[in-house]
Amino acid sequence: MSKKVFEHPVAQAGETTGPSYWRSLEERNKTPEFRTRAEREFVEGASAISTVERREFLMLMGASFGLAGLGLAGCREPRNHTLPYAKQPENTIPGVPTFYATSFPGESANQPLLVETHQHRPTKVEGNPSHAANGTASSKFAQASILDLYDPDRAQASYGANGAQLSVAEVRDLLRALAASAQSDAGAGLAFLARPSSSPTRARLVAAIQAAYPKVRWVEYTPVSQHKAARALGAQVLPDYAKARRVLSLDRDFLGAHDGTVEDTRAYSAARRADSADQAEKMTRLYVVESTFTLTGGAADHRLRASTSHISSLAALFAAEVLTQSGQASEGAALKAKVSGVQVDERWVKECVADLVQAKGEALVVAGDHLTADAHRAVFLANQALGAAVRYVSAPSSSALSIADLATKPAETLVILGGNPAYDGPADINLASAVKAAKKVVRLGYHGAAFDETSSQVKSVGGTVIASSHYLESWSDGRTVDGTYVPVQPMIDPLFPTFSELEVLAPFAGLTKEPFALVRETFNALAKDNSDHAFAAWLAEGVLADSGYAATPPRVTASEIKAFKAPVLSFDALEVRILPSVHAGDGLYANNGWLAEAPDPMSKTCWENVILISPKLAAKLDVEPEPMLINKIGQMNRNINLTVAGRLLCRVAKVTVDGVTIQGPVFIMPGMADYTLGLQLGFGRTVAGRVATRVDERLAGRVTGNGFSVYPLVASAASAYRPGARLELTAATVPVCNMQDHWSMEGRDIVREGNAEDLRDNANFAKLGIDGHAPAVYGKDGTMSPGQKAITTPRGNSAYEHPDHSVAPNVAVWKGHESEFLPLQQWGMSIDLNTCTGCNACVTACQSENNIPVVGRDQVLKGRNMQWIRLDRYFFDGRDNAGMAIPEDPQVTFMGVACQHCETAPCESVCPANATVHDDQGLNTMAYNRCIGTRYCANNCPYKVRRFNFLDYNKREAGHYYEGPLGPAKLPKDPADLPQLQKNPDVSVRMRGVMEKCTYCVQRIQEAKIHAKVRAKNSADVKVADGTLQVACQQACPAGAIEFGDITDPNSRVSKAKASTRSYGALTYLNTRPRTTYQAKLRNLNSKMPGANRVPLSRKEMAGREGHAAPHGAVHTEVHGAAEAHGSKHPSK
Amino acid sequence: MAHAHDSSQERPAILDKVRPAELPRAKLILNDRSFHWITDKVCGIVEEPTPTWWKVLFVAALFIASFTFVGMAYLVSTGTGTWGLRSPVGWGWAIVNFVFWVGIGHAGTLISAILCLLRQKWRTSINRAAEAMTIFAVMCAGLFPLFHVGRVWFAWWLFPIPNQNGIWPQFRSPLEWDVFAVSTYFTVSTLFWYMGMIPDLGAIRDRAKTWWRKAFYSLLAMGWRGGNRQWSNFEMAYLLLAGLSTPLVLSVHTIVSFDFAVSNVPGWHTTIFPPYFVAGAIFSGFAMVLTLMLPLRAIYRLHDVINQYHIDNMCKIILATGSMVGYAYATEFFIAAYSGNAYEKFAFINRAFGQYSWAYWIMVSCNVITPQLFWFKKVRANHSLVWIICLFVNVGMWFERFVITVTSLANDYLPSSWGYYSPTIVDIFTFFGTFGFFSVLFLLFIRFLPLLPMAELKMVSPQADPHAH
Repeated sequence: MSKKVFEHPVAQAGETTGPSYWRSLEERNKTPEFRTRAEREFVEGASAISTVERREFLMLMGASFGLAGLGLAGCREPRNHTLPYAKQPENTIPGVPTFYATSFPGESANQPLLVETHQHRPTKVEGNPSHAANGTASSKFAQASILDLYDPDRAQASYGANGAQLSVAEVRDLLRALAASAQSDAGAGLAFLARPSSSPTRARLVAAIQAAYPKVRWVEYTPVSQHKAARALGAQVLPDYAKARRVLSLDRDFLGAHDGTVEDTRAYSAARRADSADQAEKMTRLYVVESTFTLTGGAADHRLRASTSHISSLAALFAAEVLTQSGQASEGAALKAKVSGVQVDERWVKECVADLVQAKGEALVVAGDHLTADAHRAVFLANQALGAAVRYVSAPSSSALSIADLATKPAETLVILGGNPAYDGPADINLASAVKAAKKVVRLGYHGAAFDETSSQVKSVGGTVIASSHYLESWSDGRTVDGTYVPVQPMIDPLFPTFSELEVLAPFAGLTKEPFALVRETFNALAKDNSDHAFAAWLAEGVLADSGYAATPPRVTASEIKAFKAPVLSFDALEVRILPSVHAGDGLYANNGWLAEAPDPMSKTCWENVILISPKLAAKLDVEPEPMLINKIGQMNRNINLTVAGRLLCRVAKVTVDGVTIQGPVFIMPGMADYTLGLQLGFGRTVAGRVATRVDERLAGRVTGNGFSVYPLVASAASAYRPGARLELTAATVPVCNMQDHWSMEGRDIVREGNAEDLRDNANFAKLGIDGHAPAVYGKDGTMSPGQKAITTPRGNSAYEHPDHSVAPNVAVWKGHESEFLPLQQWGMSIDLNTCTGCNACVTACQSENNIPVVGRDQVLKGRNMQWIRLDRYFFDGRDNAGMAIPEDPQVTFMGVACQHCETAPCESVCPANATVHDDQGLNTMAYNRCIGTRYCANNCPYKVRRFNFLDYNKREAGHYYEGPLGPAKLPKDPADLPQLQKNPDVSVRMRGVMEKCTYCVQRIQEAKIHAKVRAKNSADVKVADGTLQVACQQACPAGAIEFGDITDPNSRVSKAKASTRSYGALTYLNTRPRTTYQAKLRNLNSKMPGANRVPLSRKEMAGREGHAAPHGAVHTEVHGAAEAHGSKHPSK
Repeated sequence: MAHAHDSSQERPAILDKVRPAELPRAKLILNDRSFHWITDKVCGIVEEPTPTWWKVLFVAALFIASFTFVGMAYLVSTGTGTWGLRSPVGWGWAIVNFVFWVGIGHAGTLISAILCLLRQKWRTSINRAAEAMTIFAVMCAGLFPLFHVGRVWFAWWLFPIPNQNGIWPQFRSPLEWDVFAVSTYFTVSTLFWYMGMIPDLGAIRDRAKTWWRKAFYSLLAMGWRGGNRQWSNFEMAYLLLAGLSTPLVLSVHTIVSFDFAVSNVPGWHTTIFPPYFVAGAIFSGFAMVLTLMLPLRAIYRLHDVINQYHIDNMCKIILATGSMVGYAYATEFFIAAYSGNAYEKFAFINRAFGQYSWAYWIMVSCNVITPQLFWFKKVRANHSLVWIICLFVNVGMWFERFVITVTSLANDYLPSSWGYYSPTIVDIFTFFGTFGFFSVLFLLFIRFLPLLPMAELKMVSPQADPHAH
C-alpha cells in the first residue's frame, strides 16, 4: 500500500494546455493586480510578521493559503479522505459499535435514524430517539435500507456512451461540459427528471440551477404521490393521533403505507394504551372506510368496506353529516346535495358521525392522499366543525413540472436522477421516446444497465449511467414529516466510485463545493445558531430543534367544492386499487431480500404480488377451494385460498382497464370491498437484480420476473385507483409464496380479546379457555409475582446446575459481604396485542440484528423461512357457519410470536445433545456449536418458533442451494461478499444443519451487562438499569407494543406490563411457563353502530367452539379463593 | 416332572366316562423326516452351487441398495433440505422409516426369546430367519435416525464418550434413550442369533469339502464339538439370552414410542403408545416374517418343516395384534374426546377427516380391516392370499407411523403455523434403497448361513423323543 499523496501534483503538459478555468474576472483578464497578488510569495503585510502575535500569524497564514489556491487555477477539487487509523483514535474501541445520526430519505419526509457501525462499517439501522415523535422506532423500509448498501447488484462504476467505464474525473468533466453547453440557450434544452425529496439543500441547488438557466425544466415524478391534500388545501395536514379520541380514516392507511407512518403509529398506539375499564373507554376509537384490507383497517374498531372510487363521495357525505350534526345544517345539506351515485348504510354514517361530534375537540377525520382534492376540502370542513386535533403547516412549495411535460416536449439534454421511470412511469406517457429523442442522456442510478430498466434504456440510446451512492455513503439533509431539519451523513466512504444527487446537481448550479459544504451552507441558513458547535451538535443529535414547518391556515371555501359523482361498480365494472407493495414499495426496494421475504401482513404472501379479490367476487368466479370433510363437519374452517400439499395455488386472471390488460394470480382476501381489485406495485421488473428476479430451483438458469407489473394500469391522471376494470380468469394455476396457510384460530384461546365492559365485569377476563381450567402450574407459588416466581420456583432444564448467585460462597474473604450477592436479573418480555398493528418492523429489525439469512422464494414455498419473529394473523367473523363460509367482513388480530423462553422449556428436555439449555437469567439458549440438528426441539415447541437451517442459506446463494459442495459459494462473480459486510459481528452466522431461534438478543444483554459492570466499578450494583437495554424488535416497534427487561424488578416496565390484568401467557396449560407473555387485545366498539358485537368475535368463536370461553374469574387459575366469583357474566352464544 | 407323572396315574374317573376324543398335537415336522433329512435340507441350501435366481436378485438388490447410499451421500453433502422436511414438520419419512424398520425387527426376537420361554415349539422352524430379519431390519432402521440429523459428523455426541469439553449427552431426551435401546437390542439380538447358530455352523463346517469353506465355518463355529458339556452350556446360555432378550422386545419399541409420547404434541402425547407400539411392532414383524418365509418355503421346498400349522399360528398372531392395534386407534379417539382438550380432540378428528385423511384410511383399512380375513381358515390356507394380506399389513404399518409422525406435527397448537409435508424424490429413493440393503443382507444370509436351526428342529422332531407314545 502506497501512502496517499495529498500534495497537489505538478501540472502535466496536457493539463496546462487543456481547457482553462478561472475563478475571477481578474484572473481571466490577467489584470496586473491579480498577477501581483498571485505571484507574491506572501500576502501584503506578511513582512509584518515579526510584530504579530501567534493568532494573527495563523490568521494571515490561513489567508495566504486560501489565496494560494487562487493562484493554482483549480484543476482538481479538494477531496475529503476517510483514512484507516494510523494511530488509535480516542473513543473508538474495536468491538464496541459506534452510533451516528442520519436520516432515511423518503418521498416527502425523512425518517431520523441512528446507525450502528462496527469499525465504521454500518450494520444496523435504528430510530433516532432525539426526535421525540419518532423515538427508537423505525419502519421496515428504513431497517432494510442497510441491505441495499451492500446490494451486490448495485452499480459499481459509471459508464459512458460507448460502454466505456468512466473515472470520477471524467464524470465530473462530463457534467461540467453539459452545464457549460446548456448556458448557450439558457437551459432551454436541459431537463431534469428526479424523485421528490425533502432535502432543503437539493431544493437550494434546484433553485440555483433555475436561476442560472431560466429556461431549464425541473420535473419530479413518483408513482405514489402523497401531496394531493397539500395541493388542495395549500397546506400540509398533520393530524395529531395522540390527542384524538375518535378517528375516522377515509382510505388513509396511516398505520401502514405513508411517510410518517412511524410517528403516526407511535402517537396512535399511545392513545390506545389501556389497562383499566376507564382507560379502555377513553382510548381512541378508530373508524375506517377503505377498499382493501390495510393495517389501519386491521386496527379499526369499526370498518366499512367501500370502493376507493366511492370514498371521495363518502368523504363528502361524512363531512355533510358532521356539519349537519354540529349545527351547520344548511352547509351540510348543501354538501350532501353535491353527492350522487353512492350507496352507503345511512346508520353507519349517522352513528359514526354522532360519535365524532360527541367527542368534539378530540375527534379527527383523515383522508387518503389519493382521494380527490374536493374530498380533502370536505374533510377539512368536517375537521373544522369538529375542532379536530390537526395542524396545518406550510410545506415547501415545489415548482416541479409533471412528467407529462417531458413527454410532450422532449429535452435535448435529459438528466434522470434516481428513481426508475422507465419501469414505474405512467403508462400513458411515452418516456422511452423522450429518452430516445434526447441528444444527451445522463442517468444517476443505483443499479446499472444490467439491473435497472431506466439505466438499461439510457445505455441503449448511448447515454451515460452514473453510479449512485447510497444514502449511508453521502452527505445530504432532509425534513421529517413535521418539518424538523435532519442531516443525512455518511457512515462510510463510498464503497465504489459513486456520486450522490447533490454531487451531480452542484456543477449545474455552478458550484464546485462538496456536498458536505453545501449541507453546511444550508444549515447555516436554516439554523439560528450556525456555529461549528451547533453544526456538530446537529450532526450528533440528528435533529435541529424547533425547525418544524410553520403553521399556515388552509385556503378552503365550501363553495369551491364541486359535485361528487361516484362511478357505478358491478362485477362487470370493477375498480382497481393500486397500492405500493409492502415488499418493494413502488419498485424502489425490489432488490431487497429482507423486504421481499417479509410477508404482507394481511395476505401473508411474499416474494410476489397478487390480485386481491373479495370473497363475494370469488364466489361469483367460483375460485374458492373445495371444502374437506373436516370443514363440512365443522371442525375446521375452510381455507380461504386453494392450498394443495401445503402450497397456495392461485388461478391466474387477466385484469383489463381501458383496453390495457395485465395478468396475475388471484388471491381471495377477506375484508375487500366487493368490487375492488387490490393490486400492488413494485413487481414484475424486466431488468432487475437477483432478488427481484425469480429463481427457479428446479429449472436452474431459467428465470422470470418476480410477480407481475401493475404499471401498465397506472395513468398519470389516475395512479391510485381506476374504475371500469374487468377480471377474466384463465385456465392456468400458479403456486404463490405465502407464510401462513390457515386464517382462523379455530376457537382456540391463543389471542384473547375483550373490551371495557369485560374489564369492568371481570378484570381477569384474559384468563379464559383451557388456561382457565388447567390446574395451577405453579402450585403454592401461584400467588407470587412473575419476578418472585422466576427466582424461587424451580425452573430449569439445564443438565448443569447454575451457581446460586444470591448466596455468598462459604469462604472467609466473603464474610461480611453477603449483602453484595444479589439474585441475578431475570429477563422477560411482554407483547401488547392491543397496540400491535402488524407492521413488520420487528421482523425486519430482528433479521438485521441477528444475521438471519434470506432463503428465497423457492424455500419459502417449501415452508422454510428463517425469520425468528413472525406476526400471526387471524381473522374472525363470528358467524356460526360450520367451517364453510369465507369471512367477508372480519375482525383481524396480529400476534407477534418469537421464542417464548419458557421456564420449563419443552425443547430443552428433548435435545439429546444438550444443545439448548437454560441460562441462569432465564434465557432459553441455543448452543449452535453443540447442535447436531435432530429437530426434536422444533417438533416439541408448541409455539413453533424454532427455525432450522435445512440448507446452507448463509454460504450459498438462492438457486444454488441444492448443488451442495459442487455449487458456487455465495456471489461468485462479485469482488467482495458484499452482503456479508452487513452481518452483525456480535452474532454467530449459522451453518446448515443447525437449529436457531430468538435469543432475546443475547448479544445486547451481554453488552448491557458489561456496561453495567464497568459502571459499577467496585460497587455491587451490577444490575442493568431498566430502559438501558432494548432488544431489536422492541426498539423498532413503532407501536411500543413490546416491553423487555428484568421481571424481578417490580418497577421495570416489563414487570408493570406483566402485572396488568390483561396479561396472559399463550398455551400455559402445558406448564411451559413462558417468559414472553401477552396483553389481551381491547376493542373499543360503539354499541350503536350497525354490526357491533357485545363480545369480540374471536371470543364469540371460542364460545361457539368450546362452549365455555367466558372469562372465568380467578376460580380455576392460580389465585385460588380470590374475590371474583365464577365468571360473573357469560356471553350469550 | 415327576409330579405330573404321578398325577396322571390318578386319572379322574370322569375322563373314562366321557371318553374325550384324542386331540393330536399338530405335527411340527411332517412326513416323519429324519435327522439326516433335516441336515441335508438345511446344509444343502448353503452347499449347493449358487442358483441363478440368487445371483439375479443379489445384483438387483445391490443396485437398489445403492439408492440409499447415493441419497445419503447427497444428503450429507448438501443438507437436510434435500428432503421434504419443513417447518412445522421436523420429522418426516426418515423417522417414519426408522420406526417402521424397528417395528419389523420385533418379530425375530419375540419368536426366539418370548416363544422360547413360553415353550412354543413351533418357533423353531422360523426363528433363525426371523432373527436374521430382525438384525437386518434394525440395521436399516439405524441408518435413519443417524442420517436424519443436520450434522451427521457430530452424531457421535449422542454417545456418552468422555471428552475434554465435559459435555455429556442429555439423558432426559427420549432420543438419547433410543440410542441405548436400539443399540442394546441390536447387540443382544445379534449375540442371540449368532450363538444359536453355533451348533449348525459346526455341522456345516464338518460337511465342508473345500479348505476355504472349512476355514470360514471353523472360524464361525468357534470350536463347536457337540460334546455334552458344550450342549449343556449352550442351552443354559441360550436360556439366559432368551431371558435377557425378552424385556428388550418390550423395551425397544416402548422407548421408540417415547420419542412421541414424551413430547407434548397433540397426537403424540398419549400414554397408550408403549403397548400400542409394541403390539404394532409384533404385528408388522410377523407380517414381514410371513412375507419372507412364504417365498423361501416355496423356493427351498421347506413344506415339511414350515407347514400350515406354523402359518396358521402366525396368521393368528397377526389377527390378534392387528385387532389390538385397531382397538388402540379407537381408544385414542375416546381418550381425546374424554379429555375435553380442544387441541387433543382436533388432532384426532384432523387425522381422520383432515388433509391427511387419505393416509389415515389407508392405515385403517390395511391394519384393522384386512387382517380380519384371518378369522377364516380358508384364507389362512391360501398362501398367496396370506402373502398379499401380509403385504397390506406392511404397507398399513408404514402408514401408521406416517400418520402418527406427520399429521400430528402438521397441525398442532397454533393454526398460523400449520403446514403440509410431502417427501421429495430423495426421501423416496432413500427409503426404497433400504429394501435393497435389507435384501442384500438377507440374500447373503440364506446363501452362507443355516436358514433353519437344524439342531433345534431335530429337538422338536418326533425322533428326538423316543419315549413319546
